[in-house]
Amino acid sequence: MATRDSLPGPDPSVRDRLRFARQSVGELVPTPGEGIVGYVFLLPAFVLFGVFLAFPIVYTFYLSFFRFNGVGNDTLLWIDTGFLTYRLTSIADLEFVGLANYAAMFSDSLFHQALFNTTFILVVQVPIMVALALLFAVALDASFVRLRGLFRTVLALPVSANLVAYSTVFLLMMQDAGLVNYLLTSVGLPAIPWLTSSFWSRMTIVGAVTWRWTGYNMIILLAGLQNIPQQLYEAAEIDGATRIQKFRYVTVPQLRPVLLFVFVTSTIGTFKLFSEPVIINGGGAPLDSTITIVQYIYQAAFIDFRLGYASALTYVLIAIVSVLSAIQLNVGGESDA
Amino acid sequence: MREETRREAVWQFLTYGFILLGAVTTLVPLYWIFVASTLKESEFLSSTDPRLIPGDSFLGNFGALRARENVQFVGHVGEMTQYVDLGPVYFAYDFWNLWNMGAIESSIFIAGVYTILSLLLCSMAGFAFAKYEFRFKQPIFYAILATLILPIQLLVIPLFLLVSQIGLTNSYWAIILPWLANPLGIFLMRQNMRSIPDALLESARMDGATEFQLYYKIALPTMKSSLAALSIILFLFQWNLFLFPLVILDQGKYTIPVAINQLVGAQRVYYDQIMVAATLSIIPIFILFLFLQKQFVSGILAGSVKE
Amino acid sequence: MSRITLDTVRKEFGSGGDKILAVEDVDLEIRDGEFLVLVGPSGCGKTTTLRCVAGLEDVTSGRITFGDRDVTGLRARERDVAMVFQNYALYPHMDVRRNLGFGLKLSTKLPAAEIDQQVEDVAEMLGIEELLGQKPKELSGGQQQRVALGRAIIRDPEAFLMDEPLSNLDAKLRSQMRTELQTLQHELDVTTVYVTHDQTEAMAMGDRIAVMNGGTLQQVGTAEEVYRDPVNEFVADFIGSPSINVFDATVDGARLDGPGEFSYHLSETDPVEGLRTVRVGIRPEDIQLVDNGIKLGVNVLEPMGNENFLYATLGEQEVTARIDPTNRPHPGESVSFAFDEAALYLFDPETGASLKTKRDGEVPTTPDSIPNREGVESTTGTGPDTGSNDDRMEETVE
Repeated sequence: MATRDSLPGPDPSVRDRLRFARQSVGELVPTPGEGIVGYVFLLPAFVLFGVFLAFPIVYTFYLSFFRFNGVGNDTLLWIDTGFLTYRLTSIADLEFVGLANYAAMFSDSLFHQALFNTTFILVVQVPIMVALALLFAVALDASFVRLRGLFRTVLALPVSANLVAYSTVFLLMMQDAGLVNYLLTSVGLPAIPWLTSSFWSRMTIVGAVTWRWTGYNMIILLAGLQNIPQQLYEAAEIDGATRIQKFRYVTVPQLRPVLLFVFVTSTIGTFKLFSEPVIINGGGAPLDSTITIVQYIYQAAFIDFRLGYASALTYVLIAIVSVLSAIQLNVGGESDA
Repeated sequence: MREETRREAVWQFLTYGFILLGAVTTLVPLYWIFVASTLKESEFLSSTDPRLIPGDSFLGNFGALRARENVQFVGHVGEMTQYVDLGPVYFAYDFWNLWNMGAIESSIFIAGVYTILSLLLCSMAGFAFAKYEFRFKQPIFYAILATLILPIQLLVIPLFLLVSQIGLTNSYWAIILPWLANPLGIFLMRQNMRSIPDALLESARMDGATEFQLYYKIALPTMKSSLAALSIILFLFQWNLFLFPLVILDQGKYTIPVAINQLVGAQRVYYDQIMVAATLSIIPIFILFLFLQKQFVSGILAGSVKE
Repeated sequence: MSRITLDTVRKEFGSGGDKILAVEDVDLEIRDGEFLVLVGPSGCGKTTTLRCVAGLEDVTSGRITFGDRDVTGLRARERDVAMVFQNYALYPHMDVRRNLGFGLKLSTKLPAAEIDQQVEDVAEMLGIEELLGQKPKELSGGQQQRVALGRAIIRDPEAFLMDEPLSNLDAKLRSQMRTELQTLQHELDVTTVYVTHDQTEAMAMGDRIAVMNGGTLQQVGTAEEVYRDPVNEFVADFIGSPSINVFDATVDGARLDGPGEFSYHLSETDPVEGLRTVRVGIRPEDIQLVDNGIKLGVNVLEPMGNENFLYATLGEQEVTARIDPTNRPHPGESVSFAFDEAALYLFDPETGASLKTKRDGEVPTTPDSIPNREGVESTTGTGPDTGSNDDRMEETVE
């Protein structure tokens, strides 16, 4: 039985002394009240969230109504205490232009091109990738497949490749005289102008993105598959369903929420496309047929330094993504318990 | 019956064929990066005779990459400006100062520091959301949740202005700080920490633990696997950041993506060197991936947690 | 070790319009070294009361004192109490040794070697020495339970607080741990508050039992007191298994008319004075099957081995009786019963307060050993024809 104060045991060791010291320090720190502790834990993240996320979101919106003339230099606040002077400058030198930035988009053909390119890639790439990911997941989920873990790892491997590094490899493989065309011609097919035709250069991007993300989505779908109760398949089997029917009437409906998640995240991902077109097509070549929205925003902001216009573009993009996600969630979420 | 087994065999054959095709398509580009890095440029760019067997030019290509002046891909020992012999601590300090970091070290350093700090912040915030009651908890949480749908990398414009104003341009902190409070990380930690039984925390309270001890002696150790999974998500996020570092960092501080971009964008593109850089950039993540494969999968799955 | 006093303790959850009153003005004194069981149905506020004592919840108003020390405003870790949780709440990432030593390490300035020694001692006392190196998930339910106990014991607290600690064990282990816990508490002589929803456990373990319902304390007393002399219908109904049979009866002078053929002449009419109706309660063991009595329709007979449970209907009323195992009426049959007036409970139909409780003092409670022939005779009324009964009643009253 514990007796608190009598210490017949050995003398405290160094580690004990350290522990006692820590306890004493701990006792000095006042314990915050019940409603306060949560704030204390939240504070660091909240401050950073406010400064680097919430503020930029708001400020981007603000900026989208201005023309950017340069980094701020105007003094907002000047404190001179004699010893110390403190000067708070405005963040940027701005000129209010109202909705002009938004209006400018209507006549900006490059923006239209970027919007078209991104939509094209989205419409072609997302369905192909999700279908492939689903097929791989179903194939790997089949009961007779051996070495499942190995195949899963191999297929998911591209996610670990550095975005820029793998884009470079695609750039090289897709050259007119590159590996892919070599393989095509060696089996008697015509070589394809992967990087020089507008259509095929977009398809190159589609291929690269699909290569990188299919395995990632496959893992998510695989987990979803494993959550489908086995009894459903057994019941379908008893009802005489074929393999295809089981897939159509059991797998797909059961997987609906997971498929939805995959669709939404892939769509958002496609709208964020930047590294691949920049590296593979050197910033939109040929003839701006691969320039994406984010790439165009980057150009407007950091090459032309039209920050106000770029901010407006950003908000249009955010709006598009939000609306698309909402539509997908609504359509896909129907009939979902 | 015969017919049945024959069809089953065909089905299995097709399934395996499909999986193998996928595996090969996945591996060829990765393998080819490695092969190309060991060949002379003329050898792997030849369209009549592409080589698929490793050669022996890796060190030569690597040497050429290191010799480049505009991009410092791998670090090197700088000039010894001062040396104070005061034992191991100062030796480490001197070494740190002497070592000029290249893109690889920068990337590992930035991603590492980012991951550790972000884990700390996200787990603390997640703990607060999961286990404490306070005013405005729901609104704050939903505000953070809403930013999940935003492509947060898009906020480069105000971030750039902000960072310039604070005077952090061309500093690693400019890349680390903005995404420390990672909304996905906070959300995941909150979801997972909700599964910690209240009784466990109360039990520790009765045992005399302070609120902070609850966090680091009880909550964190029980969340080990979630933390491992999240650390992979965070590390990869930072590792792949391209746009913002491109805007913020100057030559000499480049991360891997920016450095490779410089190699590609140069006047004369040396593909052999690029291939060495690509190989080197894949190795760290590849090792991480092999070691943490299980957590990696659960990490990706954690990212798909439904509300 | 000390006395624990709750002085009009009140606990409300939520704020503004949707306030929930969990504990309403509880006054309770737990004596030094006493084993007090807080019992009640789920949601009755027993766990909240315990958590207020532990310091895990702030009280809305009222005072809690340990001995002479007012602990109302103190946090859990400043109160020097130990708690055993329903799911044991063992730290999953620590082995048993560290689980046991954690509290001492955090809250005392004992050197590590001394802590280790105490861990060994407690482990030996509970017979879990071999488990010291194992993690909680490698232990069985009973072993986890012991570790949880050990974690409380080692801190030598002023009080043990236990929140349904046995409810996760299987039936056999539960009764074994019940005895063990009692022995342990007796040896250590530490004031203990034990929360359970299981009245059997409460009866078996508690020095005294505190019955709660709807946030208020109903009654505090020994097992026998709350069983024999409940303050109201709720306590009478909650304590005892199977539950007491209670039904409405109309009062006509000394005559009570209930469902079916139930009719009974009270020899003592004071309790029902001025009432038009009354709630009548008879414990299952007080129902004696007789040849001539109130008719019951047999529904189900559950043989328990040492006794039989008879489920029957009295008019529309379900009635349970504990009868001799040799007595096996078949479903569909009709039997007659009688009871002893001393064993009768009467409750106020409005307030539920007890008007009369069990007074058959000397009589053991097993039905087959109630040889009170007088009582049997006086209650073998023959159905609706109660005229003769009336006369006899009057005799008895005189």
